[in-house]
Amino acid sequence: MRSQRSREGELLIDHRASPGVSDELMRSIGMPAGSGKGLFEAPTYTCSHCSSVVVINPDRKRERAYCAKCDSRICDDCGAILAQTRECKTFKQLMDEVQEKAAKQQVGSIIIPT
Amino acid sequence: MGAKRTYNVNSVTPTATADTADLVDSTYVGFFKGGSSTQRTKFNEIYMGGLAAASAPTLMQLARSSTVGTGTAGGGTDAADNPETAALAAPVEVGNTRVTLKPQRSSTLKLLNLAFNAFGGIVRWVAREGDEPAIVGNTATLGEATLSAFTGGTPGLLGAHVKYETA
Repeated sequence: MRSQRSREGELLIDHRASPGVSDELMRSIGMPAGSGKGLFEAPTYTCSHCSSVVVINPDRKRERAYCAKCDSRICDDCGAILAQTRECKTFKQLMDEVQEKAAKQQVGSIIIPT
Repeated sequence: MGAKRTYNVNSVTPTATADTADLVDSTYVGFFKGGSSTQRTKFNEIYMGGLAAASAPTLMQLARSSTVGTGTAGGGTDAADNPETAALAAPVEVGNTRVTLKPQRSSTLKLLNLAFNAFGGIVRWVAREGDEPAIVGNTATLGEATLSAFTGGTPGLLGAHVKYETA
């Protein structure tokens, strides 16, 4: 079994040779204050339910959403949906469904001898 | 394990574009659209290096498309990471120009924010293998993603590459 930490990606924003981006602008896109200055490195994870990438804010105190059914961290939006519906549908399941549906449409017109 | 490839743009000055508006040719880094209705592609790495000559806060976003592009694709370069990689029967469509329909960034399906100052700034994101964001098929809203500049800031000249893997 893989730990949640072992599934993390990496984000690096290097403004050591740049004036950087103001806290106001970084906050407007959901990034932590200070991430637009100097060297910012943070782990990321991919939401198991919607496939969006979440930058882990080291200063965050609130608990992160987690789905026990797929044993994965999920984004806040998917966490809110999970709290309401209690349904786990991973993005991998969604991709499988899309592929199966498309494959069925492709072979739908073929007569298979039995 | 699929075919890993790198899409590269030597230099482009992105235009800050609102969600669900046409992404005008050569004003964004690129689009990535599935080559068939069953194809899936994972994003492994995104790198952007600022080339601007003055301060240029640039709010780049990787996001799904609410409208997928159509028509002949152009712009940027694309190569297999491994020279032994066999060519796909239906290659992923990549580039930053579209002859017919221009791609449009979804207002809700954002995958990753990559804001940085293109005046000397660098941003690099790498996914862990097995947990990459992905596109599947070749229709909206799951079959295409774009890397483009969101409104706000004053986007500046940058160079970029995106590593992706198709299965």
